[in-house]
Amino acid sequence: MTVVLDRVTKSFGRVEVLRELDVRAEEGEFLVLLGASGSGKTTALRMIAGLESTSSGRVLIGGRDVTEVLPKNRDVAMVFQSYALYPHKTVAENVGYPLRVRGGSKEEIERQVREVAAQVQLTDYLDRYPRQLSGGQRQRVALARAMVRRPAAFLMDEPLSNLDAKLRGHMRTELKRMQHELGITTVYVTHDQIEAMTLADRVAILEQGVLQQLGTPRQIYEDPANLFVAGFIGSPPMNLLGGRLEPGRFVAGAHAVPVGLDASAGSATFGIRAEDCSLVEPGAGLLDGRLWALELLGDHSLATVAIEGVPAPKGGAGQIASGGDAVASLGGRETPVTIAVKVAKDWDAREDAPVGIAFAPGAGFVFGSSGERVR
Amino acid sequence: MSLFEARRLGEMSPVSKTIVYGLLGLWTLVVLFPLYWVLITSFKLPGQVADGPDYLPFVDFAPSLHAWRYIFVDLGADTFRPYWNSVVIASISTVLAMAVGSCAAYALARLHFRPRLLSVGLFLAALGLVIWALAATAVPWPIALSAGVAIFVVAVFALRRAPSPRLGNGDILFWVISQRILPPVVAALPIYIMFQQLGLLDTRTAIVLTYTTVNMPIVVWLMYDFFVSIPKDLEESAELDGASKLRIFVEIVLPLARPGLAATSLLVLILSWNEYLLALFLSTADAQTIPLLVAAQNATRGPQWWYMSVLIVIMILPVIALTLLLQRFIAKGLLLGAVKG
Repeated sequence: MTVVLDRVTKSFGRVEVLRELDVRAEEGEFLVLLGASGSGKTTALRMIAGLESTSSGRVLIGGRDVTEVLPKNRDVAMVFQSYALYPHKTVAENVGYPLRVRGGSKEEIERQVREVAAQVQLTDYLDRYPRQLSGGQRQRVALARAMVRRPAAFLMDEPLSNLDAKLRGHMRTELKRMQHELGITTVYVTHDQIEAMTLADRVAILEQGVLQQLGTPRQIYEDPANLFVAGFIGSPPMNLLGGRLEPGRFVAGAHAVPVGLDASAGSATFGIRAEDCSLVEPGAGLLDGRLWALELLGDHSLATVAIEGVPAPKGGAGQIASGGDAVASLGGRETPVTIAVKVAKDWDAREDAPVGIAFAPGAGFVFGSSGERVR
Repeated sequence: MSLFEARRLGEMSPVSKTIVYGLLGLWTLVVLFPLYWVLITSFKLPGQVADGPDYLPFVDFAPSLHAWRYIFVDLGADTFRPYWNSVVIASISTVLAMAVGSCAAYALARLHFRPRLLSVGLFLAALGLVIWALAATAVPWPIALSAGVAIFVVAVFALRRAPSPRLGNGDILFWVISQRILPPVVAALPIYIMFQQLGLLDTRTAIVLTYTTVNMPIVVWLMYDFFVSIPKDLEESAELDGASKLRIFVEIVLPLARPGLAATSLLVLILSWNEYLLALFLSTADAQTIPLLVAAQNATRGPQWWYMSVLIVIMILPVIALTLLLQRFIAKGLLLGAVKG
């Protein structure tokens, strides 16, 4: 069923956690709410669940206005970040609890619990207590408990964040597969952009209670609505240069790069992804610099090139999101503005070697002084 | 190799081991010796007690059952009645205090109360009015009390829109525990007069009610901490699973608070079991409790140590039994596995 947040606002006293949030998850859709901590994404999820009241706006599930409906009558199942397993109940009792509470014959409950347990490979653990399970198993119990009664929607609050990296990748794939098989609308909250990109049919990016962009992972990556989204999505984060926009070109200090825009702005930011750049002979590209660092990442390498005479982009949300501030103050040294370039894994050069950076004129993005995209 | 160095990882050095176990042994003696002393005294004849410190039965003195015979046979019913009174009073008041106190503690742990300061002020004013009416006029107390309640309700309703600062859960908790800041002896006389007016002096009802009230703040205060430590996620999860609030309390919260319930009940039970002062005020014969009987052995002929010792021994036994019984509930780690890895 569809899940809709209709201009929902939430304030705690004078603090506004969510401002006029408009999000719609279609029937069977996997919608991810992505944002840093404090962005309001968990609050939004809890409002769908009914664990948090709305200050204004409406919540609709399957077309029904549930804004004032008690959580237990909303027919949604939630997987908590902490799993929230009942420690004094066995796995079977945990999974069967939603059925038992709603009333049902013992045999029927047992049959359904067995069925779901088989789906998440927990059949051998039904008599154990949560404390006897590993993190991944507990996670699957939490999932099974949500799945067992076929709710109108799944709500998941960072369900994978307590797992180690390897297991997380595995569970991510399983989750995606399972959701696809069940076809149940899912709203999933995470701060991990890789989870968001891989799991979502559509991603809603939130920052400080305001929706920044809602779109498919591809749209969000290839067509970011603003500077925040551009800097938040992608690893490494988008390269950003400060400067000014003139018709047809972007001027960054001593450098100028062509852009396919006819506008002009006194203060602007130019952004380009690492994989859209390539390294060329000095002077042959659009920007010149010196090789700052070269990191081998397995299937490719990441070359960081220092560009001299370019002002740092101001207020780049991406810089903050990617921890750029911490890098800039490393060792108390001035770090020059750098551009990361994805290169072949066997590419090699000495550090401080002069290099040129080339990219297609239309590959970059330009953002205005308040972060909005200039098109 | 120094004596001050541990031989292996995770072990103590021989010297610290000696010191630690020496101190522990010493402390064990300090704790256990009075119990032993009471036990052997109960088997001594008055003359043997007066003779001075003899410690070893059959060696230092010939044990005798005369004190036991006196308490159980000669006194007979006069021992069993206070004993039974103590059992009834301690268990009923504990159950009541736990039932009401736990509910209050859970409410304080999970709901946000915002009582208006004005309403609290009105309540105090109405209370003052009732006290004045009783002291200065000849109004009978049921009428004064009903009038006071009526005035309070009407005033709160009339002033429901008047601006007033609000109090929070912290204020309520402090008010609850402040009931224990005054020593109970201060309230003993008013309590006595109250039950005298009600015609309930020397009844178990009066003592049960008093103990329940006196122990309630302890229950609220301790159980509040236990309830707060239960992850809220569990209750929210149960709520989404479709359980009602009452069901969540009974099926999720109470089982998880079991160590707290066990520890708190034990404490409250022991406090009621041993209470002396309020029982002294509220009972004369029929409702007498066992501590009063112990004290009564210090009669005109001087303290009858041998009788006292017998009573103390039979008074301690159920407490020890109960502690052993409840100990397995006061285990830690019940919440293990509820959250995270």
